[in-house]
Amino acid sequence: MTTTTQRTTAGVSAPTAGLASLFVPGLGQMLIRQTRRGLLILGSLVSALGLLAWRVHLIAHRTAGVWPAFEKALRRQPVFVGLVTIGIIILWLWASRDAYRQASTGQPGGMGIFVLIVAIFFVLGWQIGEIDLYKAVTELPDAWPPLSKVLWPWGAAFVRETEEIGASAPILVPCDDNPPAPPEEVAGQPYVMAEPTCGELSSLDENNQIIPGSRLTLTGRGFAPHTETQIWWADPLGNEFRHRQGGEYVTVETDDEGRFQVELILPYRLVPPSAAGRQIWHVEARQVSAVGDLKPSEALTLSVGRMVETIFLGMMATVFGIVLSIPVSFLAARNLMSGSRLTLLIYYLTRTVLNIIRSIEPMIWAIIAVIVVGLGPFAGIVALTIHSIAALGKLYSEAIEGIDPGPIEAIQATGATRLQTIVFAVVPQMIPPFVSFSIYRWDINVRMSTVIGLVGGGGIGFILIQYIRLLDYRAAGIAVWFIAITVAVLDYISAEIRRRFV
Amino acid sequence: MLEIKHLTKIYPDGTIALRDVSFTVEEGEFLIIIGLSGSGKSTLLRCINRLIEPTEGQILWDGMDITAADAVQLRHIRRQIGMIFQQFNLVKRATVMTNVLSGRLGYVNPWASLLHRFPPADREMARRALERVGLADQAHKRADELSGGQQQRVGIARALMQQPRMVLADEPVASLDPVLAHSILGDLERLNQEEGITVLCSLHYLDLVQRYATRVIGLRDGRIVYRGTGDDIRNMTDAEFKEIYGEEAVRVSVGPHAKEETR
Repeated sequence: MTTTTQRTTAGVSAPTAGLASLFVPGLGQMLIRQTRRGLLILGSLVSALGLLAWRVHLIAHRTAGVWPAFEKALRRQPVFVGLVTIGIIILWLWASRDAYRQASTGQPGGMGIFVLIVAIFFVLGWQIGEIDLYKAVTELPDAWPPLSKVLWPWGAAFVRETEEIGASAPILVPCDDNPPAPPEEVAGQPYVMAEPTCGELSSLDENNQIIPGSRLTLTGRGFAPHTETQIWWADPLGNEFRHRQGGEYVTVETDDEGRFQVELILPYRLVPPSAAGRQIWHVEARQVSAVGDLKPSEALTLSVGRMVETIFLGMMATVFGIVLSIPVSFLAARNLMSGSRLTLLIYYLTRTVLNIIRSIEPMIWAIIAVIVVGLGPFAGIVALTIHSIAALGKLYSEAIEGIDPGPIEAIQATGATRLQTIVFAVVPQMIPPFVSFSIYRWDINVRMSTVIGLVGGGGIGFILIQYIRLLDYRAAGIAVWFIAITVAVLDYISAEIRRRFV
Repeated sequence: MLEIKHLTKIYPDGTIALRDVSFTVEEGEFLIIIGLSGSGKSTLLRCINRLIEPTEGQILWDGMDITAADAVQLRHIRRQIGMIFQQFNLVKRATVMTNVLSGRLGYVNPWASLLHRFPPADREMARRALERVGLADQAHKRADELSGGQQQRVGIARALMQQPRMVLADEPVASLDPVLAHSILGDLERLNQEEGITVLCSLHYLDLVQRYATRVIGLRDGRIVYRGTGDDIRNMTDAEFKEIYGEEAVRVSVGPHAKEETR
């Protein structure tokens, strides 16, 4: 009843309200004292229009005029532009109808119009966010090789000492009457023999086309069986290079008895003029074979070391954070600071500063800390400490604000001093939230410290980002695994401690 | 022993909780304050030991003005006045023993007490206080492990530790069932009769008032609207009842009350 009378006193008839909203969306609602609803409709419509104009401008850039640009954008992205345009038109008409109906029936307007507003912004968000599910699915196979290395990197966790064995044979360039003899064979040593032992190098013609050199057959024996064997050359100056054929390195695999045979084309190589004439080249077969016991790889030992560093980094930051945030939290507790104008001012000041510090991510604090104290774990500690003070200060102060005043007045009533009241009535109530929040923060800090290294703040993130940049996905995978294991263990431990304490 | 003169309390938001309240409390009385929620009972009790600062008026304790006492004097007065609360106001995470011992805080060395060090005599006293309320075997439990009635007994033991001359009880049984209510008030009555401790208690239920009071004050909207002895309250008229509890309440509770009158 009362609402209807209110509407009538607004003095606006239903058609007027409807027309007003048709003219300026939301105006009708404002006229019938639905100011906030009207403003929301107007604000949504204006911002949706603005966003659409911006995106149309981006899609059809360098097209002069509003209408041609719109047309071009509609042609390029018909779904997006079409949906948003239709949505805005419907919203406009709906706003008018909404104002008319509310004014005529006196019933409060429904939520439907807000669903439409959300839908419009969802479509805008989809386009602005460049969401491309098709790409996400179709390009997944390409991402699989590095991803699989990250998911199961343990092949690179342990390595054996390697040993290189090899044998070479001389080749005369060019051939003359006196080609070199094959090398002497020593029992128990790998041995290679070329046939013939002389030939012509590949060369370039005037059109820079390769003229293949002469062929030779390289036979080897006495090598490790079933092992990849590389072919290398040494020119007369002693420079070594790997043999390529058709652009690819040539690798042969030895048979059961450690023998192989491969046909080679003599390589193309610019030879300095001073070396012209009779030249002795060497062709060489090399094997790298693993010998000795398995030992942890560098990636593994480094990851373990950095992980330990990370855990302590998080721990130190938490300890500093707790110690420094306790005094701050008293300044930020309203019930303690509402005594006078001055203390209230301090309260608001502390709250504001804490909120600002807290809203800046630890990563950004780390970048700043790196500038001040240099790369390394200390920068990470500084960054996390700053953020912890702000976060814990807020949580603690809220815990202080939430304590039960009953025990305080009970202790005061016994004739206790202020300090006694704090020790007997305030502190016991503070212990559970303090413990809970502190452990929670330790948990967060260790998790944060794993990534704070990405910007040079020390810890495992520091090597993780390096491995990723070096495309060493196995080593990166090892680091990722350690992070995951540590965070999981820590989650469990902190949950367990909190359960016991609180 | 306690004389309250023209006491007025106005909260910062403008609420007037007490308007010109005056009465005296004699040694050894069991004075019960009745009234609706919001009638100013809690404010009145808390003004007496200045948990709430009165706006105007005087509170004389043995002739000394509590409202004008400095911090040290105030603590000396507070420790002579025990207090019991509706919500018990125990430190829930502390042991029963610690809660009881905290009643001695006004007497012991403040610095030693910060480390929870209490003289052996006080510990012995705490044991006797717990024995007295029947909780000797619960001393090392956490306060929140106890039932409501047991917690209120711990509250009484804590008040006893102050060796009080007077006990302020702010709706001590409002959170308890009727059986426990009688047993807690019975405890208070024993203290009143055996130790001669003056009791100033606020209560809701008229039957409890009629059973325990030696004198009654009725508060309504911060004003004293009823004064009577224990006998007076047992023969309370409808008009008096209306005066205290308002027109609305009369209709609701006239049935049982009327029955009682005819008996």
